[in-house]
Amino acid sequence: MKILKNLAIATTALALLAGPAAAQSESSTLVVAVPSDPQSLEPGTNRAWPVGSEVILNVFDTLVAWSPPEFSSLEGRLAESWTVSEDGKTFDFKLREGVMFHDGTPFNAEAAKYSFERTSELNSYVKATFGLIESVEAVSDTELRIMLSAPYPAFLSILAQPQAAIVSPTAAEEAGEGFASNPVGTGPFKFESYSADTSVVLVANPDYFRGAPGVERLIFRVIPDASTRRLELESGGVDIVQQQGQLSSPPAQDVAELSENPDITVLEVPSQIIRQFEFNNSLTDGPYADARVRKALTYAIDYEGLLAGIFGGTAERVYGPLTTNSWAFNPAMKEMAPTYDPEKAKAMLAEAGVDPSELSTKLYSFQGQLWGAIATFVQANLADIGVNVEIAQTEFPSYRALHVAGEHQIALDGRQPWYNDPDAHITIGYLSSLKDSAMTFRMGEDAELDALIQKAQQTPGLEARKELYFEVQEQIMEKVPGAYLFSPKLIIFHRNNIDGLVVNSAPPLNEYWSVTKN
Amino acid sequence: MSEVLSFLRNNRLAAYGAGLLLFVLMAVIFGPILSPYQPTKLNIMEALSAPSATHWLGTDSFGRDVLTRVLHGGRITLGIGIGVIVIAFSVGVTYGTISGFAGGWIDVAMMRVVDAVLSFPALVLAIALAAAFGASLENAMLAVAITLAPQFARVARAQAVSISVRPYVDAALSLGLPNRRILWRYILPNGLAPLLVQSTLALGSAILQTASLGFLGLGAQPPIAEWGADVAANLQYARGSPWVALAPGTAILLTVLSFNMIGDGLADWMNPRRRKRQG
Amino acid sequence: MIGFVFRRLLAVIPVLLIVLVLVFSLVRVVPGDPAVTLLGPGASDVQIAALREQLNLDQPIVMQFVSYLGGVLQGDLGISLKSGQPVTLELMKRLPATIELSVVALLAAIVIGIPLGVFSATRPDTVLDQGLRILSLVGVSVPAFLFALVLQLTFGLWLGWLPISGRMSPFVSFEPITGYYILDGLLSGQPSLALLAVSYVILPASVLTAFLAAVLSRFVRSAMLEAIEEDYVRTARAKGLAERAIIYGHALRNALLPAITVLGLAFAEMLGGAILTETIFAWPGIGRYMFEAISNRDYPVIQGTTLLFALIFIVTALVVDLIHGWLDPRVRKRLK
Repeated sequence: MKILKNLAIATTALALLAGPAAAQSESSTLVVAVPSDPQSLEPGTNRAWPVGSEVILNVFDTLVAWSPPEFSSLEGRLAESWTVSEDGKTFDFKLREGVMFHDGTPFNAEAAKYSFERTSELNSYVKATFGLIESVEAVSDTELRIMLSAPYPAFLSILAQPQAAIVSPTAAEEAGEGFASNPVGTGPFKFESYSADTSVVLVANPDYFRGAPGVERLIFRVIPDASTRRLELESGGVDIVQQQGQLSSPPAQDVAELSENPDITVLEVPSQIIRQFEFNNSLTDGPYADARVRKALTYAIDYEGLLAGIFGGTAERVYGPLTTNSWAFNPAMKEMAPTYDPEKAKAMLAEAGVDPSELSTKLYSFQGQLWGAIATFVQANLADIGVNVEIAQTEFPSYRALHVAGEHQIALDGRQPWYNDPDAHITIGYLSSLKDSAMTFRMGEDAELDALIQKAQQTPGLEARKELYFEVQEQIMEKVPGAYLFSPKLIIFHRNNIDGLVVNSAPPLNEYWSVTKN
Repeated sequence: MSEVLSFLRNNRLAAYGAGLLLFVLMAVIFGPILSPYQPTKLNIMEALSAPSATHWLGTDSFGRDVLTRVLHGGRITLGIGIGVIVIAFSVGVTYGTISGFAGGWIDVAMMRVVDAVLSFPALVLAIALAAAFGASLENAMLAVAITLAPQFARVARAQAVSISVRPYVDAALSLGLPNRRILWRYILPNGLAPLLVQSTLALGSAILQTASLGFLGLGAQPPIAEWGADVAANLQYARGSPWVALAPGTAILLTVLSFNMIGDGLADWMNPRRRKRQG
Repeated sequence: MIGFVFRRLLAVIPVLLIVLVLVFSLVRVVPGDPAVTLLGPGASDVQIAALREQLNLDQPIVMQFVSYLGGVLQGDLGISLKSGQPVTLELMKRLPATIELSVVALLAAIVIGIPLGVFSATRPDTVLDQGLRILSLVGVSVPAFLFALVLQLTFGLWLGWLPISGRMSPFVSFEPITGYYILDGLLSGQPSLALLAVSYVILPASVLTAFLAAVLSRFVRSAMLEAIEEDYVRTARAKGLAERAIIYGHALRNALLPAITVLGLAFAEMLGGAILTETIFAWPGIGRYMFEAISNRDYPVIQGTTLLFALIFIVTALVVDLIHGWLDPRVRKRLK
């Protein structure tokens, strides 16, 4: 035992022994725990992979960004100001002067034009939105004009995404395909190194146009196991743990226990993420094609029990296709939303003339503890009204493939909006022409609803759009595309010596420029 | 029977193991009948309550009685273990016996395949197979069985080789008995003892490996009560409510331990030199 | 001896071929077009057609295997779907971490397992012996993920003696030379770095060591008990040699020979356990890489890691056999 104790003293002293430089950097180095290796650290190839996207937001800048802490209005970043034409198709930007990329290349309209064209060409992920760009024109060094082929009021939101960040043209040309592992932007941090499955190291950019960041180094440490991440946070091995939209585990237990820890602060921020129990809405025969049956099942789910039991207050109820914090949320949804009433569910099934045993099928779900818990809960709820479903937790690639092919009848699914606009949920989720394009609700053809969705997407003026989205939500609810289960809060744990962390909700990625460590 | 008793009397470790196994079996067979709870029925209001008179091992994050889940889970987990061994035994022993009896280049070729399958660490092979076939309990079982079969094949082959040269097999051959009959009547029964030892030891690893696959999300799907999957699903609660993960975890440990104790004792006992010393 | 080495090497070739066939079959038992499987759901028709061409998918299966074999022989294991990098390159980046971890575990297992086995064998069937046997049986029976959590909690969080996860302190700026951090620390003349690397390896290695040391001590115990019964030990006893000399001079030496074989096999088996251990301890090795490849359905990587694990096993078994044959002439004869 004594030997072990000596060993302990020796090892704790080692970091100090390793040199004064190492010991010094600890107080000015921010360590963020992330669950997986980052993928593609540049806008041209990143496809909304959370870890890579967060790195991008800290190395690069976008033209515009949502202003903290409310994230309800846009502010200029590399753009100083902008105007939108009457018809909503022309966007004129006045760009910031005197900004340099990390490699010394000056930022100007040509660089922005280059970035947008490069990303449109390379990145199939942004095809739907960047495809609307008709032309990008560098009017002068500081003036940029973007023309769209159709009006798209959410376009500025699109420009705030990490995929719309501005890259250094010289560095991107020079590095070619290697740019993804050696990104150069204008952001608060410069990329220093990446070691596989271990970490990404960024260093402060002292010349950042908004001022030098609060820490000298920013390290993203890859720790795949959730319980190990928590242990590292408690022991001080990492400063911040972001739950990444709770893909790994329901954080209720961790939140309850960590809020009692005097060294740790728990940040909870409402998100616009929606998780649902959904139907394959393009089925034309079988019991699930009957809206009465679908409606009956939505009454079988114990929504409040799920929120309290599994999430312990770390998630909120979702009533319809949009979260309550969306500007387009229709309050009538609260009336239209189903309530937990298994007897009513049984009666509705009987009324539809469907025996619960006919509804036996596979309930597809993502992998991981969180989805396992939700699936278990939904399965038990359905079993209570006599519907026996078999849970199939499936790896993402195969799940996506069978979902896009429409091989399922019921599934657990969700959407994490990547930009702050109802469009992010509605268009991709419910437009019938997009049903095979991604994991959507696979809505059956309905010209009226489709037209309404497109009109809501393209009409200029917030109030007018709001009206239209109200109507869209009511029409969607009548079709019972699924049972909206919950919206998880973004939960971030950080040690108490961290100040100035602002949590962004859509996309749920953090900028660490303002963070300081004491 | 008397031989079993004399074995247990002379081998304390195996006796403890047998006692432990008996306890586990009794609990798993009769426990679920006696338990007033359902293993998959949710009672979310009582989630994660500590062990008490009503819930002897507390409840899990869904308010399900942990003891009931462990008892039901034992049926599944032990069933998986036995199922895996039955598959691995049948495939491996048939293969190995044929190989050993055939001899010559057939034997060489057949054993090279065994060597090749053995070159994959069991968990690696099981994961790769589960990846190819998809995640489900059946596929996990099949995968683990495939990784265990070569060990049986090796032991069976060694037995077959040493028995094929015994006088009674020679006699049977010269009588012109068909090969299949010789295999079934003479070679297999006489080589059974070491295979039984192998089965006992392999049962332990079968359970452990299925648990590991469950931990990696490649085994039993919820809400089935299965020890490995239950440990994995509850590990995140282990800090605040240790009973949820420790109960199925301890069940795995004790069961695997009991098989290993018996297997170890058996191996010791069958070793002729050791037997002499102890006798 | 040269003949023995030659024959043993020759015997490896068919095994290698069968292993390659099995790994090759892996993506072909998955339902669907192997080219689509290998490229993932995001692939374009052009890419699929190009890979079909490259894999010779329109040719008979034998020709497909031959071209796969040709690729493997040139070190070409395909391109990772996730990173877009050659799988061989990705594996080379991660192999040192796994080797370092397992070699440390192996050395620790030898240092712990052999003395325990000897200790047990010299006092058979006493309470101490029974206790140690039960302990070693617990060692092979305990689920690794449970043991890992207990170690992290105890030594990482509560006592704070050792790091909880990772391979090197993120605060140390450190340029790896060989990729083996302990060695790198020594090579760069910074023994404190080597010690720091050791402090990171202790917990994950302990999980692996528990299994390996348990297997080893059980084996050494029974092998020594057998050896003590052998005639030459009895002769030595009859000659009145000191008990110590008998045990260490004769019995142990004879028990250690077969122990090498057992250790070799257990070592390779333990590598499978590295999948869990590396994932829990955020250790950047090939085990964890394989696990992540499975959740991403990155088939080229799954194939590559499976093949690499099998290769490590084959090489270990080969080395063990060669050492064994070198030390024990009887083994050399057997292979004839």
